[in-house]
Amino acid sequence: MKHSKKFLVIVSLFALVTASMATAEGKLNVVATLPDFASIAQQIGGDKIDITALAKATEDPHFVDARPSFVVKLRQADVLIDGGAELEIGWLPPLLQNARNPKIEVGKPGRVQASEGIRLMNVPADVTRAAGDVHVLGNPHFTVDPIIAKAVAAHIARAFATVDASNTAFYQGNEKKFEDTINAKLQEWGAKMLPFKGQHAAAYHDSWVYFAHRFGLEIDVFLEPKPGIPPSPSHLTAVIEQMKAQKIKAIIVEPYHNRKIAEKVAASTGARVVDFAQYPGALPDTDTYVKLIDALVERLAGALKS
Amino acid sequence: MWDVMFWPIVACVLLPWLLVYLGLHVVRRGIIFIDIAMAQMASLGICVAVLIHLDLESTATFAIALGFTLLGAAIFSVTGKRTSQIPQEAVIGIAYVVAAAAAVLLLSRAAEGDSEIKNMLVGNILLVTPLEVWKCFGLFVAVGIVHFVLRKSFLLVSFDRDRAYQKGLRVRWWDFLFYALFGLVVTSFVRIAGVLLVFSYLIVPAVCGINLSGTIGKHLIIGWLIALIGGVAGLFFSFWWDLPSGAAIVCTFGALLILVAIGTLFRRTPDTLS
Repeated sequence: MKHSKKFLVIVSLFALVTASMATAEGKLNVVATLPDFASIAQQIGGDKIDITALAKATEDPHFVDARPSFVVKLRQADVLIDGGAELEIGWLPPLLQNARNPKIEVGKPGRVQASEGIRLMNVPADVTRAAGDVHVLGNPHFTVDPIIAKAVAAHIARAFATVDASNTAFYQGNEKKFEDTINAKLQEWGAKMLPFKGQHAAAYHDSWVYFAHRFGLEIDVFLEPKPGIPPSPSHLTAVIEQMKAQKIKAIIVEPYHNRKIAEKVAASTGARVVDFAQYPGALPDTDTYVKLIDALVERLAGALKS
Repeated sequence: MWDVMFWPIVACVLLPWLLVYLGLHVVRRGIIFIDIAMAQMASLGICVAVLIHLDLESTATFAIALGFTLLGAAIFSVTGKRTSQIPQEAVIGIAYVVAAAAAVLLLSRAAEGDSEIKNMLVGNILLVTPLEVWKCFGLFVAVGIVHFVLRKSFLLVSFDRDRAYQKGLRVRWWDFLFYALFGLVVTSFVRIAGVLLVFSYLIVPAVCGINLSGTIGKHLIIGWLIALIGGVAGLFFSFWWDLPSGAAIVCTFGALLILVAIGTLFRRTPDTLS
């Protein structure tokens, strides 16, 4: 016990030193759990922040392998942005427990929980969790709805302005710019998706409900029988039948899903496998949030047209 | 780096001694994959608990997991006959695949995704908490005491089974006790360090020790040294190059084993010349 006290002293000294270093450098240390938050934060923070995304764009956000630098980054962070909807529940809590950074605790100005104030979809009516690997708070894959992304940007800008008040105008200006870009883009995206209003599409995992809702699609057939449960033969048979009956033309898969299963279903239904991603950088030429949604709209429209 | 790596290092210093000792037994008995089979039996128990909607952290869940571990111990002690056409390793392999496949079946019915269960079963040494380290250490001390008190019989059963039978030891019961304690140790270590690390800590130091010297005492000391060096060095590498910690330790062990093998090669050549 004596030892751990000494250890705590060392830790706090270290934290003090790194904290003073950070302020001397003048940039905010911002950590985002996932690349979509990082991309939006970069738009807001510009050169006033140093941004780190913990998960890679091609990594399954449910499972992320912790590395020592994650703990170091979290320890030095002035701001942490996470989803706040249990998507990262498997790996973020133990990291935070190790990082012990009071600045980024829930409720502090340095902690942005992106889902705050957002009405999540698919909130289970019954919380016994018998319906699969469901998220009790609702579907956490919300940033692919551009209107929600604006709300997330507003959260982030507010947090940056609170933690780093001297640059408030800068952050607010960037948030406005982001909002204007999204508003303009929404017209374009909406126009491209309009011909397919009401059409059904299939997906490997239920992570596109917000995207579908925004653009008037029904992405409601899933290769997984329940979220997180690998497809079984009988379920796939049912899916194939349903897809044929509804003439579904597209199966959405993400980089960490088993593409072979989707290809097999595609082969027996005549649908096309569409490579999608929730995170900027996972598809070629999608290094920003806006470019990612551009690519998604382009790809899905292409598949539905054929 | 100390603030990040302190508890992982403590875990790598305080915990592996028992694994190294048990590893000598395991290598000697030629049942290399027993740890993975045992861990899989325990996780099958946890899947059953999930199926009947028990809380993952509850005592009932722990009891079921323990029950399955004991079941595994019973199977392996019954099948470990004195003379048999079928090697024990085959039974262990079968137990592993069946337990793993049964877990897949249960989970597909349990309707609860496997993410939580995976997280619960397979720990990450980088993220150990002080409480986990002390709990595991306490269990290891208790098992270590049992092994120390009963060392004569345990060693005889593992290292000289024929003599054990001749002396009229109830080998099956000793086997059962060995496997049961072993199951406890392995499943608790897997939960804080992951499957890869358990396997490496059991096998690599034991193999190095056996490679380098003759007596059990020396095997143990060399094994402990290797475990200490491999674990701590692996954590350093993991920090310097920002690698996943468990995998870094395992690869360090691999490198150490190669060094030891080369070392023995050079040491033996002059012997054979003279």
